[in-house]
Amino acid sequence: MTERTAKWIFWVGTLSSLVLFLALTFDTHGQFAALTNADKLDEQVVAGKRAFERHNCNDCHTILGFGGYYAPDLTRVWTRLGEDSIKRRLRSPEVAFADSYRKMPQQNLSAQEIDDITGYLEWVSAIENNDWPPQHSERRWKRSTERLMAGAVLSPGAALVNQEDCLSCHALGERGERKGPRLEWIAARRDARWIADYLVDPQAVAPGSEMPASDHLSVEQRQMIGEFIASLDRRGGGDS
Amino acid sequence: MIYRTQSVAYPYFVVALLLFVLQVLMGLWLGINYFATIPQEIVDAFPFSTARAMHTNLLVLWMLLGFMGATFYLVPEETGSELAWPKMAIAQLVILTVTGVVALVGFLFGWTQGRPLLEIPRPLDVVVVIGALMFLANVGVTIIRAKRWTATQGSLLAGLVFLAVMYLFGIPFYENISVDWYYWWWVIHLWVEGAWELIAAAITAFMLIKLTGVDRRVVEKWLYVELGLFLFTGIAGTGHHYYWLGTPRYWLWVGGIFSALEPLPILLMVVDTWRDVRDRTTRLEPRLTWVYMFGMVILHFVGAGLFGFAHTLPAINYYTHGSQVTVSHGHLAFYGAYALLNLTFFYFAIPRLKGMPDHAYDERTGHWGFWLMSLGVLGLSLAFAVAGVLQTYLERVQGQPYIVSQEPIRLWMLIAFLHGLVVLAGVVVTVRHLLTLKPAAAQHG
Repeated sequence: MTERTAKWIFWVGTLSSLVLFLALTFDTHGQFAALTNADKLDEQVVAGKRAFERHNCNDCHTILGFGGYYAPDLTRVWTRLGEDSIKRRLRSPEVAFADSYRKMPQQNLSAQEIDDITGYLEWVSAIENNDWPPQHSERRWKRSTERLMAGAVLSPGAALVNQEDCLSCHALGERGERKGPRLEWIAARRDARWIADYLVDPQAVAPGSEMPASDHLSVEQRQMIGEFIASLDRRGGGDS
Repeated sequence: MIYRTQSVAYPYFVVALLLFVLQVLMGLWLGINYFATIPQEIVDAFPFSTARAMHTNLLVLWMLLGFMGATFYLVPEETGSELAWPKMAIAQLVILTVTGVVALVGFLFGWTQGRPLLEIPRPLDVVVVIGALMFLANVGVTIIRAKRWTATQGSLLAGLVFLAVMYLFGIPFYENISVDWYYWWWVIHLWVEGAWELIAAAITAFMLIKLTGVDRRVVEKWLYVELGLFLFTGIAGTGHHYYWLGTPRYWLWVGGIFSALEPLPILLMVVDTWRDVRDRTTRLEPRLTWVYMFGMVILHFVGAGLFGFAHTLPAINYYTHGSQVTVSHGHLAFYGAYALLNLTFFYFAIPRLKGMPDHAYDERTGHWGFWLMSLGVLGLSLAFAVAGVLQTYLERVQGQPYIVSQEPIRLWMLIAFLHGLVVLAGVVVTVRHLLTLKPAAAQHG
């Protein structure tokens, strides 16, 4: 190889890659607004992002998969945990993670900061990012739940979930609200027994939770609700 | 040392080495956080996030100071002239070191920009930019005055300017997180897989010319090819960070294809080094300098090339993104490519700066340092890799909760920590050895 050829490789290699990269950057900028729902990026979201940075959240947590790997990814935290659960963790992490082997620092956030960060996380959760991360894929949750609901005779537990209006706070499949955690998400961490016990007095397990006690239900009814929710667990099933 | 002003490099090396020790100490504390339960009171006062900010910023600071010192050593020889402003070089070191220390102490009190790796608060960014401008002016004026142009110093200067310009993209506040990460990678990726590679290739070429006696034209011809491939794969290869952050789907293709080619220039670097050594007109001495040189090119290839390739394709990265797999790659790549580059250059330059006869030095304990560090880093990277695969399978494939996926990892983090102790021992031995380097004659008399 001559020096001339070598220089030629250098310039062609560098410039072709640079031109491609800058052209795609330009095009990507045209698409950010739609992919990130920029119309919903309001003052509170910006304030939330500033608070998120002020408290260095991102050096323990990842968001969109970037950051520290010491704590759960926050990309879809709003869709899986819901507003109340996020706020409870932000307000008193020392209580929320009292039993955990990994702790979150108490940073004494103001009520305003907690609202802003939650608003920020809600906006982030809707970013169209090729359905990452896989474990928090709404698409997969909905699909597996719809299949379960279609395949079985409606269980008494499911009927109770409807009757007790659980979905006015929790998400399930295509339905529900985002105040509390998604029911499929609970299914992945708790068994029927635990859920049945929790229903009696949520405050006893999760102090500060806004979930009302369901002590008017019988032991059997609570067990049925627990069994239904636990059956939503899609672990090990992957995409199937 | 041929030119008097080359001596400004030495204090840069000293500060870099001391910060390196601190970086490793902070890393060990992070390791403890993973396998032990830290009481709430300690977490409140000194959270993982603060320690991580310190660990990563120490890395950037010591490596950049090392590169700058290397540049101040290299440029006078390449231009055949004294450095334009040696006193300003020292002032710049003081400014950057003080800025670094203020930033680190600031982190302890929660003064942070709050973006990973770019935690240095914005007011301090201004000081960093001033330091960088002093540096570039010093080097640039030296080169312009000398009117002697070589491909080696050209690629070094290009890399340094590239590095400085990219830093600017990390300073603004971005309202949109997707745009934020998009440009965050212009700093992080285009540094380590762009600008820093130019610097690494230039410094390596310089050492090979001096150490092997191979004709400069041959070395620099291949340098052009290396740089062309580094930039061809590296620039568009930035796309491998754009898969999951809210960008159009074509980045899956662009990132996948270009980054799959990224090991090639590193492989070429290995081949070039091997060829220059084969064609050398000199003896391979001191032995330790060559152990470092080979260690660097091989672990650069394994850590950055192979470990990077292992999780760069979108179909794999969908599951491994943001897990301990990234940590594994990050540690071995930074050590192989840039920690060893700096240390190799220190072993090359310090005997010359101290005017040791034949540039020979008493190298005995240095070998211990190299092997303890290298085997330690290799061990901890493999432990992180096991942890990463476990996490990926449990959390990403099975859909287990994050905290459940972390449970079996604790053992592997303990194993990583134990290797970290070996690394610390190696670093202490190496730093001590470098800072008290003695002429080879001392071992006989």
